[in-house]
Amino acid sequence: MNEYASINEKLDWTGAKRIVAGIDVGAVSSKALVLLDGEPYAFSQVRTQRPGESAANALNAVSRRTGLMPENIHYTVATGRGRSQVTFARETVSEIACGAAGAVRIWGPSVRTVLDAGGESCKVIHCTEKGRATSFLWNDKCAAGIGRYMETFAGLVQKKVTEIGNIALQSEQFPKLSDFCPVYAQSEALDSIRSKVPLEQVIAAYHNAMAKRLSILVGRAGLKKDLVIIGGLARNPGIIHWLESILKVSNLAPKLEWDPAMTVALGAALFAESSYRGPESRT
Amino acid sequence: MNKEKFFAGLDAGHINTKAVIMIKEEIIGHETVPTGFDVGAAAQAALYGALQDARVSRDKLSGIGTTGIFGDMVQAPPLDVIGTVPDYVAVAKGALFFNRNSRTVIDMGGNIHKAVRYDPKGDLLDVIQNDKCADGLGIFYTTMAKAVGLSEAELSESALNATGNRSIAIQCALSAQSDAIDLMCQGVDIGDVADAVSKVIAERVADMCTYMSLTKEIVVAGKLAESQAVIKHLSRLLKEDLAVLDFPEYVGAVGAVMSCGVGK
Repeated sequence: MNEYASINEKLDWTGAKRIVAGIDVGAVSSKALVLLDGEPYAFSQVRTQRPGESAANALNAVSRRTGLMPENIHYTVATGRGRSQVTFARETVSEIACGAAGAVRIWGPSVRTVLDAGGESCKVIHCTEKGRATSFLWNDKCAAGIGRYMETFAGLVQKKVTEIGNIALQSEQFPKLSDFCPVYAQSEALDSIRSKVPLEQVIAAYHNAMAKRLSILVGRAGLKKDLVIIGGLARNPGIIHWLESILKVSNLAPKLEWDPAMTVALGAALFAESSYRGPESRT
Repeated sequence: MNKEKFFAGLDAGHINTKAVIMIKEEIIGHETVPTGFDVGAAAQAALYGALQDARVSRDKLSGIGTTGIFGDMVQAPPLDVIGTVPDYVAVAKGALFFNRNSRTVIDMGGNIHKAVRYDPKGDLLDVIQNDKCADGLGIFYTTMAKAVGLSEAELSESALNATGNRSIAIQCALSAQSDAIDLMCQGVDIGDVADAVSKVIAERVADMCTYMSLTKEIVVAGKLAESQAVIKHLSRLLKEDLAVLDFPEYVGAVGAVMSCGVGK
């Protein structure tokens, strides 16, 4: 997916009093989310290549669909790994604070732990019922890149990254792969060609190993319920299935009306909304 | 010329399966396909691609030599395999075929890299292979090219024109990727990122080479050898002249033909 935008057709930006945007420049993709008077209006996603350009491209993807131009936006907040490169943003906020704010907006005040499983990094964030982050744990180096490696892995087994998550659900029994390091896991998956393990089992084994790696992070940070998962990996049903099974939790699957990859951008947009309305609106 | 015998070499690697068609000491056709998870199918596809490239029909083949990590798995009919050799044997024979004066070959593949030292007949003297933490350098190079939106050839070109001097972590492909993405997100010039990526791969390979003395002439094989940027850094780190073999990706496949004694 190189460029994608979805628009809430029920809203019209031309009559809106407050138009704010959150831009999340992630390591793999850049996302933009626009709020009209506090209501989600547009979401877009493009590949991150040159971070500054990719942020602008994400907004352009919205403009092309709606006619809403960057100069019509009253306030923009940038977040994500490449946030410092977003020259047109008025403010930058960390992806930790945005992840917590976005998750509580989507799932409600019962959320206490947010697992943000992105392309290059994974974080476990604890938060209050108002979506304020209280503590977080960033992945150690050996757990970096699980998201991007999922794409690489899909390429190696010659499947699409959007289909391997469902294939992973087909096998409950499979040889175990290293759950310490994605490089090991990938190498072991390739070696399993030799023992003629069926492809579906290799794919299931890889998902199980990566879910185990993520659950170790959650365990180390401490699991306070409710737990929700956001970020691109939350779109992968195989990862969701094994996380639920290992962590003994349920209902991790994303809400149908919210793409889990937009959560952090939503959080940034919420910060933009509150900055634009001024100090009296802050909670 | 029709009385000459045609032979095929198949190199079934972790990532790609390579095939060559040879007549006497000449390569007349070649093809690379992704190995995927069906080694047999990939071998067939590579073989038929190479035959087509050579404009030779299947029934003209006198035999097939195989090698590579999965070389022993492509023996099923209708592939009439006449011999299978380990990848380090094949790469030594192949390197000697391309360069008669070579005595050491550094082979940088998609998932593993190794160095092999051999005598003037191409018989093995010593061999080293990377440790597990250095797996996947070829995959890493491909992934990074995709991440910055360049082809692999452009990545090398862009690295050669780099002006800055950036470095990234040396531990493994995973932390290297993480560091490289950090540079990208800080808005560092793509050329400098490409240079850092090429350098970390060279550092990893040079690390392995410290465990064995390298006898001259030293040649380089494997798909990563196509990256001039990697070679530039590797040559600097080893303080040695390195000659990149013609068709570096096909050295193993050519060696498979040579090892089976059919190229004579």
